[in-house]
Amino acid sequence: MAELKLRNIRKNYGAMEVLHGIDLDIRSGEFVVFVGPSGCGKSTLLRAIAGLEDISFGEFHLDGVLMNDIAPSQRGIAMVFQSYALYPHMTVFDNMAFGLKIAGLRKDRIAARIRQAADILQLTPYLDRYPRALSGGQRQRVAIGRAIVRDPKVFLFDEPLSNLDAALRVATRIEIAKLKQAMPEATMIYVTHDQVEAMTLADRIVVLRDGRIEQIGSPVELYRRPANLFVGQFIGSPSMNVLAGTLARTGQSSRIDLDAGFEVMVPIATDAAMQGQRVHFGVRPEDLRLSETAPLFRATISLVEQLGEVQLTYLERPGLAAPLIAKLPGHLDLHQGTEIALTADAANFHLFDQHGNAIRPHEAGHKIAVPAE
Amino acid sequence: MMTVSSRSFWGGMSQAFLWALLLSVGVIVVYPLLWMALGGFKSNSQIFEQPFALPLQWSFANYLSAWRGVQGYMVSSLLITAVSTVTTVFISAWAAFGLTRTPMPAKPLVTAIVLGGMMLSPTVALVPLVRMLQSLGLYDTHWALIILYTAFRVPFTTFLIRAYMLDLPRDLDEAAMMDGASPGQIFRRIILPLCRPIIMSCIVLHILFAWNEYLFAMIFTNNPSVQTLPVGLTSMMSKQGTDFAQVFAAMTISALPIVIIFFLTQRYFIRGLTEGIGK
Repeated sequence: MAELKLRNIRKNYGAMEVLHGIDLDIRSGEFVVFVGPSGCGKSTLLRAIAGLEDISFGEFHLDGVLMNDIAPSQRGIAMVFQSYALYPHMTVFDNMAFGLKIAGLRKDRIAARIRQAADILQLTPYLDRYPRALSGGQRQRVAIGRAIVRDPKVFLFDEPLSNLDAALRVATRIEIAKLKQAMPEATMIYVTHDQVEAMTLADRIVVLRDGRIEQIGSPVELYRRPANLFVGQFIGSPSMNVLAGTLARTGQSSRIDLDAGFEVMVPIATDAAMQGQRVHFGVRPEDLRLSETAPLFRATISLVEQLGEVQLTYLERPGLAAPLIAKLPGHLDLHQGTEIALTADAANFHLFDQHGNAIRPHEAGHKIAVPAE
Repeated sequence: MMTVSSRSFWGGMSQAFLWALLLSVGVIVVYPLLWMALGGFKSNSQIFEQPFALPLQWSFANYLSAWRGVQGYMVSSLLITAVSTVTTVFISAWAAFGLTRTPMPAKPLVTAIVLGGMMLSPTVALVPLVRMLQSLGLYDTHWALIILYTAFRVPFTTFLIRAYMLDLPRDLDEAAMMDGASPGQIFRRIILPLCRPIIMSCIVLHILFAWNEYLFAMIFTNNPSVQTLPVGLTSMMSKQGTDFAQVFAAMTISALPIVIIFFLTQRYFIRGLTEGIGK
């Protein structure tokens, strides 16, 4: 059992602050993923939890105990590094045994623990090998094994799949998911910039930008109800299409006059005070579909990326700052230069105010508070 | 356009030239040593009459006689070289670990001071060192040379090991830290074994230095039981200046250990020096 509480965590490097007051609660047994673009502070936050970075200000509690000044090895936390960080001069067995030997465990108990972890990770045939004689995937499993044998309260993963090729990445991702299922009581925190990893592994995702939390929620929640424009565009691939416009009519549903030259009715209530304000309308590429009967807009195809099952269609029309993207079925016969008519279910529309905060259904006038400001 | 046959001709020529060059360098380096070793088998008169001929008879008499003369110096050289090698490499490795791996205040300044020791000329320091070692009661002892060799070689050895350690990934330290290792354990069990190539290079370099060092050995030792081989050979030459055969035999005996060590460790030596430099 391990419950983490982070309160107003700040991290400075000299005059530069990279974490600006992080507040986060992680429940025992939860799989939490930190995502965000490069330099957003996700790895720094993970390293602060591990104890590899000092916390400049704020408090980190693990199971009610203040951890700020406790040595990394005393925290009951194990970490899997992006580079695997296996000791190259030790065999797989010795790599996994190193921490246990330091802790002064008896040899037979060390051997038993390593056998058990090696069984789980299918590493038994490789225990006498050196890391240089292993493939990338096997090395990553050894790194995970080294964490498991310590029987920690919390597992930290720092972009563990980023050094693997695409196929191995999928396979190892599935193995990590299975590992979590096999260890339901273990709390896991995972850092990645790959949103597919985040969506598939996480119980909850923490989206970070510039050292601040933008939103915390389940993968579906983040996808369906992004708190702001950044999260809306960061989660989902390709990114959400965002069109600037003016709020022309407020009320139970809102009419937006888009700069791209068409208007949309969004079933999201807005206050009369917002009338005439600049807003952003969002619709995901996968929510767009062809429709000649009641089109939302018409546009000309500028590029088609055929992926087999689907095709990414890049669309242009006067007034658009950037091409719109529609993810359409792969079997359709689409060509560059063709004009097509598209629509989407109004339930899948997103609306953001001029500051980029989401305006949600039945929350008229209430901007979504950004946590950890 | 160059044809395939002309390309292969010039390729062959450059190969042949390279081989000839390497062979010439090899001969230039090895021949004087071989000439010296062969001289030990010759009589004094043959050395002057037929300096480039092979010995008329392969007698070890000169070598046995020379061995009796140098064995005392050999023991001193072995002792001083062995102890100063251990102290120099150990202190330098610790210093390099501190300079690369610990959050030390004013680290650039400390690094500059340590590495600045390489600039200190031994000749300039002689007079104060003599006074210092005399007052410490270490003058004319093995310890005098052990301390001096260590002190004067630590900066250069630290410089080499530090460059190597800078290239070792930090993740290893952090992984060991997460595993509960103390800084001492990280040094001893992780970093030091990974530095084996450069440590081997530093050992070889220090042995070469300590075995052949002449200035300090001449100034700081008087007693033949304390003197090392270079000083011993000089005094042998002054005593038996006319018996060149025996002098050559003594010089060969004194050079033999260092040649053997170098050939045994040259693989590590070259690896260590080339690896730390960068990627």
